[in-house]
Amino acid sequence: MERLSLNETAGNAPPQQPQSQQQQHRQPQQNALGPSAPTTSGPPQLPPQMFTTAAQLLDLTDTRFGPPRREETDWCVAKLGSIRYGRRKRPLQEALAYHKPRLRWRNLVANLVLQDTIERIYAGKLYADVPRGIFLVRGENVLLLGEVDLDREDDIPTTVTKAPFEEVFELKKKEDSKRKQGDKKRHSELQALGFEPEHSGEILF
Amino acid sequence: MSFFGFDTTLPRDRQQGGPARGFFENPDPFAEVARAQALEDDDGIDFEDTYDGLGDQLDDDQDAFNDDTFGGGDTGAAATGNVGRDFDFFGTTAKVADVIGEEQVRYALQNPSAAPLAAQQRAAAPAPATTATAATTTAKRTGYEKYSDPGYIPDLQAKSSVWGVSQKKPEPIPAASRRPMMSLEEVEAQMRQRSQAAPAMPPQSIPQHMAEQAYLPHPQYPQGVPEGFPAIPPEYLRAALEKGVLPPGMPGLPPGIPELHGGPVMSGPPPMHIQQNQLPPQTLPPQGPRHAGPPPGPRQQQQQQQMPPPPSTRGPNGGLPVITNPQQLMHLTEEQRNAYLVEDAKRAKRNHKIFLLSRGNGLMTPQDKNFITRIQLQQLVAAAGNVADADPEAVLSEDFYYQVYSQIRGAPRQHPHQPLGHFAQTYLLQTGNRLGGHGNRRAFQSADNHMQRMQQQVQRAVEAAKAKPKNKQLIIEGSLGKISFSNAKAPKHMLNIKRPDSSEGPRPKKVQSDLSLSDRKSILTNIESVYSALMAMEDMERTMPPPPEEGDSEAIQEHMEWRQKVHSLNQKLWRALKVMEPIVPNSTTPHPFIAFLSYPKGKKAIPRIFRHIDQEQRVTILTMIVVHLDSLDVVRLAQPGPGEAQPSVAVRESIDLFSLAVMPSLLGYVNEAPFNIIIGLLGLVIAQTHVQSVARTKVGLGILTMLLSRAEIVKEAGQAAERDWQQWVEKFNVLFDTLEPSLADIFPGAINTGDDMYVWQFLAAVGIGASPEQQQRLVIAVKDRVMETVGYSKTLPADMASLRLGNVNLFMRAIGLDVELLG
Amino acid sequence: MLFFSFFKTLTNQTVTIELKNDIRIRGILKSVDQYLNIKLDDIEVLDLDKYPHLSSVKSMFIRGSVVRYVMLPRSEVDVGLLEDATRRGE
Repeated sequence: MERLSLNETAGNAPPQQPQSQQQQHRQPQQNALGPSAPTTSGPPQLPPQMFTTAAQLLDLTDTRFGPPRREETDWCVAKLGSIRYGRRKRPLQEALAYHKPRLRWRNLVANLVLQDTIERIYAGKLYADVPRGIFLVRGENVLLLGEVDLDREDDIPTTVTKAPFEEVFELKKKEDSKRKQGDKKRHSELQALGFEPEHSGEILF
Repeated sequence: MSFFGFDTTLPRDRQQGGPARGFFENPDPFAEVARAQALEDDDGIDFEDTYDGLGDQLDDDQDAFNDDTFGGGDTGAAATGNVGRDFDFFGTTAKVADVIGEEQVRYALQNPSAAPLAAQQRAAAPAPATTATAATTTAKRTGYEKYSDPGYIPDLQAKSSVWGVSQKKPEPIPAASRRPMMSLEEVEAQMRQRSQAAPAMPPQSIPQHMAEQAYLPHPQYPQGVPEGFPAIPPEYLRAALEKGVLPPGMPGLPPGIPELHGGPVMSGPPPMHIQQNQLPPQTLPPQGPRHAGPPPGPRQQQQQQQMPPPPSTRGPNGGLPVITNPQQLMHLTEEQRNAYLVEDAKRAKRNHKIFLLSRGNGLMTPQDKNFITRIQLQQLVAAAGNVADADPEAVLSEDFYYQVYSQIRGAPRQHPHQPLGHFAQTYLLQTGNRLGGHGNRRAFQSADNHMQRMQQQVQRAVEAAKAKPKNKQLIIEGSLGKISFSNAKAPKHMLNIKRPDSSEGPRPKKVQSDLSLSDRKSILTNIESVYSALMAMEDMERTMPPPPEEGDSEAIQEHMEWRQKVHSLNQKLWRALKVMEPIVPNSTTPHPFIAFLSYPKGKKAIPRIFRHIDQEQRVTILTMIVVHLDSLDVVRLAQPGPGEAQPSVAVRESIDLFSLAVMPSLLGYVNEAPFNIIIGLLGLVIAQTHVQSVARTKVGLGILTMLLSRAEIVKEAGQAAERDWQQWVEKFNVLFDTLEPSLADIFPGAINTGDDMYVWQFLAAVGIGASPEQQQRLVIAVKDRVMETVGYSKTLPADMASLRLGNVNLFMRAIGLDVELLG
Repeated sequence: MLFFSFFKTLTNQTVTIELKNDIRIRGILKSVDQYLNIKLDDIEVLDLDKYPHLSSVKSMFIRGSVVRYVMLPRSEVDVGLLEDATRRGE
């Protein structure tokens, strides 16, 4: 997370400009943050814990940022059961900041643009990759967003083997319908006891 | 006025505009794209700007790799449709600028022949614009032509030109020069020399520079940065350096895109580069304000921000010597060379991946992200009203656990509105040394309380914003669907259980059935009301007004009111405790207060209660406990059942809790209690309880020890009146006589079962107060246990043995003996 | 807000999260927000054979609504304080 101060003027104001007195006062405390805190010479900045998760997602955009250094990252978006596996991710702020910035910022949702996506489906002991292209994802639909480790990426678990898409897809369809039936039954039983079924079993699986 | 307060003037109205326009100062970034591309087409800045004439000296026969290096050679540049992709190097150049800077110098120093290159670049840049109207004429190419192609799928790639902050200055690299190479050290040395002589920097290119810059209004390129030169990634360059030749581009990549994309390989700031970028405008006094470079300070800073020095872990060959020229590789041992090559291959693979990912980099700069985050914060803060004077009480109620927890486990904060000190104390007191083991771990987290407050404010702002919409969902025009407002405060209901109508239907048998169940319920309710009274009192304590000064009637009034409130809360607490409920002898249900104490949270409340009640209330509680010693769970259940060595685990835990939570409070009172109260309490123990069974429990013995030792201290201090003392001795004798037969049984189980220290403490307390005759009887009663322990301790490791013997000695010394005497 | 307040104290602790589709993930809790969205670092999927989907992932953001359980280190929870915090929430 780029560290910020709330009062910094927008754009590229010279950081050396004297900030408000309050901020000046803050400077020593900033330095007391501990060994992990990078020593910056700019204006006093807000610590990362200041930002809750949604804001921290900005962290995950493609560019590099200051220490500790992080490599360019791969991303995958998972709808838990079926994983959309992509190579890029970027908050939609980036793309939509041009068009509808108000909407974006008011809702604080990290909408995503995924580029060069590959959908990887798993079924049984098989998996298949399907190139999918570009995705625009509304932030509220993101259930899980994972950062792909560049080194680990190549180590596909030995328990699964690559297979033609059609084969895996057929298998997957069977698995899904089987699970859906089981879920349906369970949900109807749970509902009788007063548990509201969530997502009707559709979204999660 | 635009929404973000950007300058919305069009570029043509801005010809006299200031330096480096940041991205967010532009009203329509896509217009910038178009304009940037128009500028690219103009060529003026692209090449002539920086052309130093060296191209004339290039060897014609060294062109073999030009296409690999520059991406498709003439074709890529001539076909304007391709430019969009081929000339997009910001993502890489931003990261390799320092290397490029060095390369640039190296090139300038060592390669005097650049003619073919120049020719190529001319081709790449069509008809140079020569007048100042360049920017105002319509762009030859808008950048959107591709969209007219129905089959075209746009690729999301960064155009560095939109930012107006591209301070990098990529420079052509001699494609396949086989001229003698300088080592990196040499280059660096020369760079250092050069940078010292900085003002004279832009060597022979100055006139051209001046000419071009004077004519061309290009706010996008305040430093005269040419756009359109391929950036050579550092890894690539390094490889070239090592091998003395630039290898051909990797197959399968679109031409013109750098094959590799690594971080800066050279560490340290690139002072040379920065100065170089800024020099042309600075050394050209007659130019208009638009050419004045930004002040060096911020620029430099910005640059460093964007290109942090690589961490040491990314060094290319951990442990291996840094390879800077091919000869060096020759000198290495086989092993080292292999390791180096393996490392190199790994890095190359990784870098290749990184490169593949890097094509869209830079679309969002750190500044952009900062900006967005700041906007978010500002909106949040604005939504919550003036959060600067937020009510600390509200923060506390919202975030109580986190606040107090970080107090307890973190470093103390110097918060101006610090309301938590005594809270932390409350919970610290409760279990003693919580700090153990957590001392430093969290220190950094709460170090900056200012920041923490900000965080709370943001969080509350979010809350406020969330609370606003009354509808459960919202449909925003143009959005794809509904936005629902189930949130942290009003989550979606997951349980929907129909409650049976209270008026009809069979009510579960509740009335006549389980009496103990309702008892349990009422006890737990009591405990909760005690806690709420406690917390109210703790809150009152925090809001205590400063002690009033004489004559300040208002302050006195305030203080009086406060005291009144505290008093009524105290009464509330006292009532909730139900200490004063009448004692029903031989009742099957325990007294409410004793029942209160039978729950762990009841026990835990005692220390906090004692801080808020007066001495009289304390003695009442103590009396209650003493009177009901028998029925106290920790006494009643502590007798091990037949055939069991010790009580069950749950009971032991409960005893430990009682000893930790309740006993210190009682002891604290007893240590200050007047003697007659001690006498009275001892009398109660004897009269109201079954002393022999009480004495078999840890808590029972503890209370007796407490009373006996207090009496001894009073006597030693000479505070006991003769008559009182007589009374005490009377009571003591009764106790002694009652206990004597069962003295051997008060030890917990066999010699090897656990801790018997509290028994020795008790015996010591008895021993001190006993008459010589009683002491003798005492010795006889416990002689066996003493000898047993002495014998047993010989089989134990030294430290444990001395512990056991120490316990025994506590007693022995009390009656003037020592285990040493026993041999 | 109690849960948010509570989870905040667990940042930088190792927790195990069970999702509603049974995947269990262990990792370091980096941050949490008011929706109880969670950011995990250095993750490890406990039943990787069964759920290979996340094998190459090193850190992740999890939407709060798909979390079933968060298993946390006992030593990092102050029960007494938590009890009082719960009482205050009324």
